[in-house]
Amino acid sequence: MSARSFTRGKGFLAAAAIALAFTACKPSASEDAAAPMPETTVAAATSLRNVLPALIARYGVAGKISVTYGASGDLRKQVEGGAPIDLVLFASRKPVEALGEKGLTDGEAVRIATNRLVLIGPANAKPLTFKTLDTIPAGDHLAIGDPGAVPAGDYAKQALQKLGSWDALQDRIVFGGDVAGVLAYARRGEVAGAIVYKTETQGIADIVVLDEASDEYAPTAEVIGAATRGGTSLAGGKAFLVWLATPDAQKILADAGFGPR
Amino acid sequence: MNPQLFPIVLSFGVATAAMVMVTPIGTGIAWVQARVPHPLRRAVDVLVLLPIVLPPTVIGFLLVVLFGRQGIFGSQLEAILGVRLIFTPWAAVIASTVAALPVMVKAAQPAFEAIPRELEDVGRSLGLSPIAVFFRVSLPAARRGLLAGMVLAFARAMGEFGGTLMFAGNKPGQTNTMPLELFAAYQAGDDARAFLYVAILVGFAVLVAIAAGRLTPKEGT
Repeated sequence: MSARSFTRGKGFLAAAAIALAFTACKPSASEDAAAPMPETTVAAATSLRNVLPALIARYGVAGKISVTYGASGDLRKQVEGGAPIDLVLFASRKPVEALGEKGLTDGEAVRIATNRLVLIGPANAKPLTFKTLDTIPAGDHLAIGDPGAVPAGDYAKQALQKLGSWDALQDRIVFGGDVAGVLAYARRGEVAGAIVYKTETQGIADIVVLDEASDEYAPTAEVIGAATRGGTSLAGGKAFLVWLATPDAQKILADAGFGPR
Repeated sequence: MNPQLFPIVLSFGVATAAMVMVTPIGTGIAWVQARVPHPLRRAVDVLVLLPIVLPPTVIGFLLVVLFGRQGIFGSQLEAILGVRLIFTPWAAVIASTVAALPVMVKAAQPAFEAIPRELEDVGRSLGLSPIAVFFRVSLPAARRGLLAGMVLAFARAMGEFGGTLMFAGNKPGQTNTMPLELFAAYQAGDDARAFLYVAILVGFAVLVAIAAGRLTPKEGT
């Protein structure tokens, strides 16, 4: 009997703790509602995670900008599902156009920057180039983003198809859920090589850049932005997008390794 | 094989292999916890529960750190036996086994604890060895609980996602189980393909819930 009442006591304590947690949340929620300037929410490709904080800090306009990162395909689905987003910055034109076709974007899609594919390997990697990828031995792997969802993976697939090695490599390719996942496989030495953006490799010690993709076979990787209607601050989204094309913003993007827009 | 069919076959295969691993290990742990007084009892109870309580990403991270090619055990496996686990279906089996083990133990342990000790004492007094008592008295008496545990463990193994994604990766034709394929289809915006796996997984879960409900002893009996 005493054991039972003890369990009940615990249950009550847990319920009290949960109730307290909710009450504690309330004041901050009402503060937000009282804020004069609505927050601008940006959905950005994972490949922008290292540069966007610097861009936002430099932008420094009244009103806050918050960012959610993910694979562009993933974010596209979230916007379609009604996520309150004011601006999308994707690593490919396709998902932006898909949103445009559904009438979810407002205004033109803008090219903000370009990017380049590189072949990387773990610090101790054997020499490898885009053209010799089919020499990766059986049982070893090449990591790329899932082409269905990750633009970097889609660009990589197009390059490999043009090089004629896509079919031969099928049994040695492993997909990452976003560029960061692909990079992680290389950093941990789990793969012989990985295809990522050049901008992913800056300041990372435990990988080597084995080869840089050439325009002969690799498509131009683009960063495309468009304002979207689903959020609370369409004007804020549009203003930030316009600013991203200014020399100030372009300088920060160039310093982070992005190509001109 | 048809690329849409493969994840279905793979998922059932991985879950079956995981159940084969989990059943003896889980039954053993449950029996020791229920019947053998030992100083680490509480520690084992906590340890067994961890995979249920922890985020799957923690399990995935630990599996990669331990069994990846640079991992503590993974590097040894590759150096000594030439075996690489990461990005193989076996990695998916290991992730599923870790996830399903607590389910098996948590179903089997009460089943063993519910056996009247007199029953086992009678077996011993009739001259049965402890091993014979286990196989001829305890195991048959606990069989409903054990079967329920196996069914639930199979289902949990089938639903494994986080640890599998990190440790087995998404390698088409090798490690793309239904949950992974569903996630990839969702990311790619391919709802028709996603619904196929949703329908199969939901249908299967309903069957499991019915089976487990019938196997679990009713209260008061």
